[in-house]
Amino acid sequence: MTTQHAASTSASTPPPDPHDNIVQAVDVCKSFGDKKILTDVNLTVARGEVVVMVGPSGAGKTTMLRTINRLESIDSGEIRVNGELIGQRVNKHGKVVERSARDLARQRADIGFVFQHFNLFPHMSVLENVSLAAVEVRHQPKSKVNDYARELLERVGLAEKADARTRSLSGGQQQRVAIARALAMRPALMLFDEPTSALDPEMVGEVLTVMKGLAEAGMTMIVVSHEMGFTREVADRVVVMDAGTIIESGAPDQVFSNPKHDRTRQFLSKVL
Amino acid sequence: MKFDWPYFWESLLSPSPQFLNGLALTVIISVVAMALALLLGLVIALMGRSRFLPFQLFASLYIWVIRGTPLLVQLVIIYTGFAAAGIFRFEDTDVLGSLIKGAVQAAIIGLMLNESAYISEIVRSGLESVDRGQNEAALSLGMTPMHSMRRIIVPQAIRIMVPPLGNSFNGLMKSTSILSIIGVSEMFQVGSTMSAATFKVFEIYIVVALYYLLLTTVWTFIQTAIENTLNVRAGLPRAEPVFKRLFGIRSRKQTTPAPALALQPADAA
Repeated sequence: MTTQHAASTSASTPPPDPHDNIVQAVDVCKSFGDKKILTDVNLTVARGEVVVMVGPSGAGKTTMLRTINRLESIDSGEIRVNGELIGQRVNKHGKVVERSARDLARQRADIGFVFQHFNLFPHMSVLENVSLAAVEVRHQPKSKVNDYARELLERVGLAEKADARTRSLSGGQQQRVAIARALAMRPALMLFDEPTSALDPEMVGEVLTVMKGLAEAGMTMIVVSHEMGFTREVADRVVVMDAGTIIESGAPDQVFSNPKHDRTRQFLSKVL
Repeated sequence: MKFDWPYFWESLLSPSPQFLNGLALTVIISVVAMALALLLGLVIALMGRSRFLPFQLFASLYIWVIRGTPLLVQLVIIYTGFAAAGIFRFEDTDVLGSLIKGAVQAAIIGLMLNESAYISEIVRSGLESVDRGQNEAALSLGMTPMHSMRRIIVPQAIRIMVPPLGNSFNGLMKSTSILSIIGVSEMFQVGSTMSAATFKVFEIYIVVALYYLLLTTVWTFIQTAIENTLNVRAGLPRAEPVFKRLFGIRSRKQTTPAPALALQPADAA
């Protein structure tokens, strides 16, 4: 079924997208061993939209987010980013096969990813962390990249830390560097995996402020978060996941004040 | 106790040309075997990490057999056994203008094979010590897995690998003493010949022991310098000074923090 669907919609050029959806996930399923993590998840994200995924832990939010840049493979269904199947392609027999590592890397370069645990490169300075990929993956001139990297560090309020070692920074500062690092690739889409969950409470605000600024600047964002205040303020749409499926989706006001689903109500009563 | 002090001092301070040749051969065999073992060890480690099942099987079989049998037996099989069975005979060959004895070739091959099995395990655990998130971050920035390995994983893993690799080399230098069994005239073999001719057994083996000690001590200095360079490059404090390391007066305080962002549990949901 998947094969046929993919074949029918992927002629030589991706079909024109009437709604300009940057992410289009259809019937995504994923299991780890016997455990079903995602069941028929459908998610569409429009360009410029800020989508926040909420739900109890174990609901599959992080896994779903990681499938969008194929840090996690999927068992069935399909995910398109910018109209292209991510990590997969349709071969000349109409079968869906893996893309080459190089091709997947090219796709990922346009998708920023911010991790819960920052994952900065400890053997490099802050500036090197931010400029590395633009220089070595995009092959842009180093001086130009460094200028832009400094500009980004300025934007996240860390201009004076450019030459610091990453391990000398606080968690909140590290996460802001990680955001600058992702932005240095000028991504079309930013994915955030619980970006404030590993932070001390007093540092959550500084990271959320940076993310809010990004959203206001028109960046397309998909955020897995437990920060309900941020969600209410910044999200265009809230997606509620439970037990591997999306149970509800809508504007934050509507979902928070008038949830349709019982499980949403239960979840919200615990976190609001 | 009879101890011929004049003979001892003479052997120690102005060793005979044969003895110096033995010393040189010990160093050369150690360095060449180690260099080759590093390459082979890296290949075996990568095979072990490969997704291609035959590679994985080969790597584990190799490590199992090599680590499970004594070096002495391996050497005798390679040099004497193979020749006796008519499989392969190491002949003296001319390499870059100098004659390399068959036994020396067999010694280098044997030590390389033996050491590579241990080195591959050191490389494997070094690569595994780097948090998985580092690779994911590199991939998410559009690096290919090879690029990430080269720029992100290996530079961090190498710091973890140097101390155990240094121990390996230390052990390898001392293992060369058993090469006498296949007739390589390295330092120990020269010492045995001298003691058989002079009956100054105790004096000569003390001198031999002191020269092995000299080799491993020099290596300790080199290894510490390498570790310091890597630590400084990674923005970490230097390792402990050499004299502390040599005489075991190590402080309990941890001067080198654990590898980059200690392993964090992957969040599966």
